[in-house]
Amino acid sequence: MKIKSDIVLLLLFILIFTLLSIISSGRFLSFDNLQTMAFQIPELGIITFGMMVVILLGGINLSITAISAFSGVITALFLANYNVSTTNINILLMILGVVGIASICALFSGFLTGFIVAYIGVTPILATLGAKIFFEGICLKITKGGSISGYPKQFYFFGSGTIFNIPIPLVIFILVIIINYILLDRTPWGAKVYSIGSNPVVAKFSGINVKIISLQVYIYSSLMAAVASIIMISRYNSAKASLGQSYLLESIAATVLGGTRITGGKGSVFGTLIAIGIIQIISSGLNILNFNRFITNAIMGSILILVLSFDYLLDKWTSRVFIK
Amino acid sequence: MKKIFQKKETNMLIVVIVISILITLKNSTFMSIENLVDLLKCNTVVGILGMGMLMAIITGGIDISVGAMTSLITVIVGKVLVGYQVNIFYLFIIVSICGILLGSINGFFISRINIPPIIVTLGTYNLYGGLNIYFTKGAWITNLPKYFVDFGQIKIIGLPIQVFFLIGIMCLTYFLLTYTLVGRGIYCIGGNPEAASRVGYKTKNILIFVYSYIGFISGIAAVVHTTIVKQVCPNAFLSGSELIVIAAVVLGGANILGGEGTVLGTLLGVILLGIINNGLILARVSTYWQQIIIGIIILFSVSFNILRSKNIEKEMFKIDVEE
Repeated sequence: MKIKSDIVLLLLFILIFTLLSIISSGRFLSFDNLQTMAFQIPELGIITFGMMVVILLGGINLSITAISAFSGVITALFLANYNVSTTNINILLMILGVVGIASICALFSGFLTGFIVAYIGVTPILATLGAKIFFEGICLKITKGGSISGYPKQFYFFGSGTIFNIPIPLVIFILVIIINYILLDRTPWGAKVYSIGSNPVVAKFSGINVKIISLQVYIYSSLMAAVASIIMISRYNSAKASLGQSYLLESIAATVLGGTRITGGKGSVFGTLIAIGIIQIISSGLNILNFNRFITNAIMGSILILVLSFDYLLDKWTSRVFIK
Repeated sequence: MKKIFQKKETNMLIVVIVISILITLKNSTFMSIENLVDLLKCNTVVGILGMGMLMAIITGGIDISVGAMTSLITVIVGKVLVGYQVNIFYLFIIVSICGILLGSINGFFISRINIPPIIVTLGTYNLYGGLNIYFTKGAWITNLPKYFVDFGQIKIIGLPIQVFFLIGIMCLTYFLLTYTLVGRGIYCIGGNPEAASRVGYKTKNILIFVYSYIGFISGIAAVVHTTIVKQVCPNAFLSGSELIVIAAVVLGGANILGGEGTVLGTLLGVILLGIINNGLILARVSTYWQQIIIGIIILFSVSFNILRSKNIEKEMFKIDVEE
């Protein structure tokens, strides 16, 4: 019998959660901390899902945070020049404008990276690396190295509003999880993404249009980046070229920690979700325990390697038992 | 003649020459010897790191932790120089040992535990980077001893000493890749790891060697970097330098899927990125435009490379059919 790695992850999550709750003598389990975590988790979470879909396809999207910054900066430009009066229609128009502009940015950038990868055939790592430099350049050109701030105050609702004490970002995040789950696990489209990831040649000969699906995946990934960017600029009240930059490698780490195979074709929404949770509770927990942020980085790196080593050893051990 | 034109390096050389001509037309100081020497000196570190990255990429792997390793070792360089006044020769020995140790940790997890290189090195990137900033608290080390600063200013036949380190590492890498069994094994693993181990290459040992070699090279790069900037900044390499190195290597024609790549190509990739950076400044392009243009050039040249090789494949296919 093969032990599923999702369950190992879940056990790890529960273990760390209880451990932190005990050590921090109640501070970790306090309402304030839980709410803070609920505000922080969606940004990394949404970007991670954008990254995960691309990795499932067998690619990688190094431009995801640059696209996030790009759509964030353009949206911020719109918001900073938007005169909002108190009428409801005006607020509605603003929301429509934000969503519209962010999606157009995402469509454009996703199409660019997707086209270069799928139709020209450049390796994903290189195409998205070039796109990253390109989009960061555009952000720098627009912001001139500074940041754009000062939005209508109704806009802060996206980043720091709550409904029944549930933060709005978390609500958006839950929607994203559901959409991801449905798309990847319950539609033919998701099945196609998995099969391209495990073997693009076989997928092609099975009649899947590999190019179009790849293009769609990159656009989807950019859309996730744009959603995250709306939350980020609303929460930070500013947009700059380095917006969300630190999430790039973190999102890859979270994806892989969640059991997604880096070469594609294998991975689950559930596993990714737990991995995001683990990363969040570790960074919040160590913060509460007054650990230095950089030692937290080091611990995170070690955990990534240790969990995967453990996975490998467990796999080896169970298969040996199985053969006996 | 036709063979030369089919090589990826030739494509790169054409791009480098065209861009050089464009920049020179705009500003003739680009071609001055002073500027070219400066250009070479500034890019030695990326070049040296590129040689290590090249090996990893040929095996089909990648090393994201080079930047973090280099930063960590620059701090060691600073501490050792300020605290113990060691001479340059011992410094290199210390640095090599540290580098090989750091690199072999990567190698161990990649070859023995079978974790994909991108993940292991991502983990060690966080580990080394985090430890580095935690222990140094980001403080700069500025009071390096005079003999070390002097060492960095030595010129041999008009060329700064840093350039000779690049040439040395290039020759070493070329020799290893071309004339040794390990080198052939590296290409073989990149082509097909399964086949490599059936042929009899000890793939695990070769992988450990490759990642230790990258560690060693990071050590050398750390010293060279310190001789150029004459101070130690703990987070000098922690922000995206590994991506620049990867871009340079892959621009130079190495196949990210493994099995392909040359020392000369990598050098051309480094030079291309270098002259774009330098040339845009000389061409008086606004700094805000520079990154956009660099991005476009990278996207364009890799697309061009792919389209060209697709065309060549088609032609070869036709000949096959006709025969």
